[in-house]
Amino acid sequence: MTKWINLLLRLIIGGIFVAAGAVKIVNPAAFADSIANYRMLPHEWINAFAITLPWVEVAAGLLLIIGIWKRTNALLIALMLVMFIIAIGQAVGRGLNIECGCFGTVEGRKVGLVALAEDAAMLAAAAWLAWREKD
Amino acid sequence: MRRTLQRSLVIVVLGAALGLVANAVSPRRIPFITPPKAEIPEQEFMPLTQAHELWSSGGAFFLDARGSADYAAGHIANALSLPAEAFDQHFPQVASYLTTDSVIVCYCDGTECDISHRVAELLRQRGYTNVRILKNGYTEWNKAAYPTTKGAKP
Repeated sequence: MTKWINLLLRLIIGGIFVAAGAVKIVNPAAFADSIANYRMLPHEWINAFAITLPWVEVAAGLLLIIGIWKRTNALLIALMLVMFIIAIGQAVGRGLNIECGCFGTVEGRKVGLVALAEDAAMLAAAAWLAWREKD
Repeated sequence: MRRTLQRSLVIVVLGAALGLVANAVSPRRIPFITPPKAEIPEQEFMPLTQAHELWSSGGAFFLDARGSADYAAGHIANALSLPAEAFDQHFPQVASYLTTDSVIVCYCDGTECDISHRVAELLRQRGYTNVRILKNGYTEWNKAAYPTTKGAKP
């Protein structure tokens, strides 16, 4: 039973990360704007993040789906989610009225408690996988 | 645990390397080090009180650069919808109201919202000379309790 739940979780979480990374890869400039809006990173670093982060998302998501280094990739996804939660949390806390940028800018969604709740749910799933799966 | 961390590092380095290579060959590449931000000249913005005066006298066209759903949920009264994300699709209808020297006030929502700038830029490229921005437009307008309306564009 647990085996099937884990498989399902891997497909869902991996799929979401592949999709979220892919839309950012398609338009790196828009993703860089989204990162800038969070006002967390030093200005010069923003593009470097926008260039590399989506590919790490896609790589970890894809490997998690295929089943290579499952624990590693689940852990990596959990770490990225912690990073996203901190970013969104500080934006909400500072009252920034900005686009989430979670799935590129197409969804036009603002940062807020909904985005936080989604990330928290995904974090729980990823942490579970990191704990229960083997590499 | 240690092996997991080492492997995590491998994935991160691998992903980052892929990203760098892809960016180097992509037609939509961006520079690795973010270039300094172009400052928007102050005169590009219109103060809220001036915007409201123009609005009251009917001396300006207000263009809402946000998406259609945001527009329907509430917009500055009499503002026309011209979503930045679908500019070409909506522009002909909006253009029928405008002349190139009309006073145009673009707005979106949020202090970091830059889609009103995009719309302003696209309008300037089409020969409109009197385009200004209402910064953090919908929020500020609401805060001042100036008139708004709900409903999708006609």
